[in-house]
Amino acid sequence: MIEFKKVSKWYGSFQVLKDCSTYVDKGQVVVVCGPSGSGKSTLIKCVNGLEPFQEGDVIVNSESVGRAGANLNRLRAKIGMVFQHFELFPHMSVIQNLNLAQTKVLGRSREEATEKSTALLKRVGLQAHAQKFPGQLSGGQQQRVAIARGLAMDPIAMLFDEPTSALDPEMINEVLDVMVELAHEGMTMMVVSHEMGFARKVAHRVIFMDQGEIVEDASKDEFFGSPRSERAQVFLSKILHH
Amino acid sequence: MKYDWQWSVFLQMASDGSGTWLHYLFVGLLWTLATALAAWVIALTIGATVGTLRTTPIRWVVRLGNAYVEIFRNVPLLVQMFLWFFVMPELLPARLGDAIKQMPPPWGSYVPAVLCLGIYTSVRVAEQIRAGIQSLPRGQHMAGTALGLTLPQTYRYVLLPMAFRIILPPLTSEFLNVIKNSSVALTIGLLELTGRARAMQELTFKVFEAFAAATVLYLLTNLIIVLLMRVLERRLRVPGFIGSAPQGTAGH
Repeated sequence: MIEFKKVSKWYGSFQVLKDCSTYVDKGQVVVVCGPSGSGKSTLIKCVNGLEPFQEGDVIVNSESVGRAGANLNRLRAKIGMVFQHFELFPHMSVIQNLNLAQTKVLGRSREEATEKSTALLKRVGLQAHAQKFPGQLSGGQQQRVAIARGLAMDPIAMLFDEPTSALDPEMINEVLDVMVELAHEGMTMMVVSHEMGFARKVAHRVIFMDQGEIVEDASKDEFFGSPRSERAQVFLSKILHH
Repeated sequence: MKYDWQWSVFLQMASDGSGTWLHYLFVGLLWTLATALAAWVIALTIGATVGTLRTTPIRWVVRLGNAYVEIFRNVPLLVQMFLWFFVMPELLPARLGDAIKQMPPPWGSYVPAVLCLGIYTSVRVAEQIRAGIQSLPRGQHMAGTALGLTLPQTYRYVLLPMAFRIILPPLTSEFLNVIKNSSVALTIGLLELTGRARAMQELTFKVFEAFAAATVLYLLTNLIIVLLMRVLERRLRVPGFIGSAPQGTAGH
């Protein structure tokens, strides 16, 4: 469903992505990990064209993202995205956050949107907070709202950019639980994360990146059992030891 | 200092015969408000537009906006006032220029004054709008875009509502500035509050009384504006965002 074909990207003369090729099949969960600055966030932002790239292409649902004149807005509406810092709209109530793109982008009526949003808030356990504002919720609650906001668009795939790394430790699980449930339902997911427990539980494949390169792209068992590259071994030993 | 205050001068008939001197100054205050409010509408409209455009990714638009801002903020207000009054009509096609010059008083001064003050202030508003938008986390723009909102929609629903809330306090100062700066219009013959205080001083020789009254009127007007803007700030306050954030809310 998502295919990267030799994607390269530069910031000025600094190359952040080097010939990255990989794929995410329908219903698969792919976890991307790697040290900070390795280009993993940049990589997943290429999927919905938030980060333009200079070479190669990304094909989503047989549509090219890199082609000049690609209808990126239509594509983005079909791909949910969850950010490290939630990025809820602070001046809107929770329900308004969920309704905004449904009404403005998909053209749903307010009633339709509210019905959908209410059902999704119930699903992430936040129906009681529909009228609150983001600033009145905990980090974990905000991130669950952000996931619901993505799901409200009936996406064909969900992108997660370090969804738990800005959270206090006690709130990480409530967010991961929602993601695990999504994975079990067969949602196509690309997840940048260091939560190896999550990867073990639901990932089909794990991609390890370093210095803009995809160093390792393996099935979960292969990756955790016997990582081929030394860099991945070192990285794993560092993050699994605490 | 010994000065013989004569407040009763305000109850005497003004030289133009329209009423007392108090009434004369009060009409001046109304002209000050009429000038400042019209200029403020222009300033907000152009300022919001130019400030917003300067944050877009479209490069030539940004350059055009920058040029506009730098021209009008680097020339003194007084000089701009003279340019609008004396030079602008000459640069227009002869017919239009003559029509402007022949406008009956006070419109012949009022129109250039409003345009001048409006555009002068729009540049300052534009700077503040730009700063407000740029103070938002970059992720806000991304989140709007990632949901499929177009660029104008992202601005309209995501960025501008927050940017305006953030810059409301400096915007209040700008509003006060328009009221105060409108006094410069006396140099092109507009009899607003300062202009009338000066006229009164020249005709009655009561300089202290005239300007004491003008001072009080300016002060009261601006204090009322400050109070109104406070009310507006309170009404637009985002729950949990500034000030009253509950403990343990990370991220913003």
